[in-house]
Formats: sequence, structure tokens, C-alpha cells
Amino acid sequence: MKELSLNILDITENSVKAGATLTEISLCENEDTMVLTITDNGSGMTEEILKGVADPFYTTRTTRKVGLGIPLLKLACEQTGGSLEISSKHIEKFPDNHGTKVSATFYKNHIDCVPLGDVVETVKTLIQGHPDTDFKFSHKTENGEVALDTRELRQMLEDVPLNTYEVIKWIEEYLREQYLEIQKA
Amino acid sequence: MKVKDLSGNYGFEAITLPDGDREIDGVYIGDLLSWVMGRAKSGNAWITIMSNVNILAVASLADTSCIILAEDVTLEDDVIKTAIDKEINILKTSMDIYSAAVTLSSVI
Repeated sequence: MKELSLNILDITENSVKAGATLTEISLCENEDTMVLTITDNGSGMTEEILKGVADPFYTTRTTRKVGLGIPLLKLACEQTGGSLEISSKHIEKFPDNHGTKVSATFYKNHIDCVPLGDVVETVKTLIQGHPDTDFKFSHKTENGEVALDTRELRQMLEDVPLNTYEVIKWIEEYLREQYLEIQKA
Repeated sequence: MKVKDLSGNYGFEAITLPDGDREIDGVYIGDLLSWVMGRAKSGNAWITIMSNVNILAVASLADTSCIILAEDVTLEDDVIKTAIDKEINILKTSMDIYSAAVTLSSVI
């Protein structure tokens, strides 16, 4: 992926496909590193699936025999000197607290670190495509935090679907305003 | 030209050659795997300097005729094993990417 925001989109789509009702996307930056964590409450993976998940020839897809979501994220962080960790609790073994957590650490100043890209667009695309599931997005930097939680939006909006044009437009402006604030700081 | 005819000639040498009869149809060059995945065409010889196991998945998805590792890039043993297992041709060369492309251009 040319930009990290596309990896985020890719991995989060997996969470939604795994039946997650809530997916949290967190970016946490300090001077040297950025940690991307995607946590979902989807069906999780068995230990056997978890073992194979970084292998590009392992996939749960039936349409083709290679899956590159996790392998490409792993490559993207490892080529900056960082690392990827995945933990998962499968629904069969953990009926009450199942889900998956993917955590990737990037060294921002490494020459091979890909740019983050337009993460607002990613969040917007996710909400637009999956208006019935919840997303919590947070991007913490040394200058402040950008945050959005669709559960809070849903409370305010009552019965208005999240993928209504006006709502999506509002979400985009809300996030971009917050980014402007931390850029100013 | 077939992949096996390139091996041992013009500065190219096979690392794996499970499907040597594959015809080379054009060349693609790139190192950003997700980019290559959507752009390399079926039958292309793909020149790269990347050596991660993911190159095999990209070659398989894009259906390239072979991967050509330029500038003496080497592969780990498990990558070679997987390449044979997945029937992916890999050649190596000490040429840089530009020279490899120019050479290919005159012979394929």
C-alpha cells in the first residue's frame, strides 16, 4: 500500500467481515514511533488460523488462494524497523469476550516508512460502507487528539442512518477540523 | 522467449524454475508490492529488489511468468521452498534494474 490509511481500511474490513459490532482504530504517535492498533469484537480466530495469518498464501477467502492484508501491513511496519503483533480470541472458546487485536509499530523517521495518507477518508469510507456497525477512531499525537465514536453519534442522531449524505459530510468536516486544530498547536 | 531460455543467458540465472516453459510476455518493474499486484500483467517478467515471501503472493496473483531479482538480491531458504511449492519461477541477476530491463528488451 502506498499509504498506511489503505492498510487500515483493508484490516478494518476484515473486522467487519468477522462480524464485529464495534471496531476501534487507534493511532498513537510520539516523537519516534506510531502505533496502529485495530481492535474488534468480531468472531476472532482459532489458534491455527492465527498462526497462518501472516503467511500470504493463507487466507479465509475461497475465491483465491492468497491473502495479503496482514502480510502487507507486517511488511510496511517491519521495513521501518517496527513489528506487528496479533492476538485473537475465538468465539467458540471465548463466547463472551471474543475478538481480534492487531497492533503495528512504525518508526516514523525511517526512510522506508510510508505516509499515513488520508485517514479521514478511510474512516468516512468505513462508516459509509457499514452504517450499522460501530467504529471508534482516535489519533493521539503530541499536539493533541483527533477522535470520533459512532456510538455517540448514533445517540445524538437517534434514527437517522449514519450513511446519510449530511451525516457523512458532517463526520468528514468534524474530523478535518480536529486535524486542523492539532496542526495549529 | 521462454523463462528457461533466459536462465543461464544474458546475465540471468534461475533460483527456481518449476515452470520453465512459461512464455515471457513483456516486463514490469516495481518494488511496492501492493502497487505491482494491481499493475503487472499476466506473463510479464517482474523485476524487483524485494525479497520478502510476499513477492511470491504478488507474482501468483498477477500471474507473472517469472520474478527477476536484480542487483544480487538473495532469498531466504524458506522463500525458495515456497516458490517451488507454488510453482513460481525466480531468476537472479547482478545487473541493476535498468540494465536488466534494457537487456530483456533486446532479447525477449
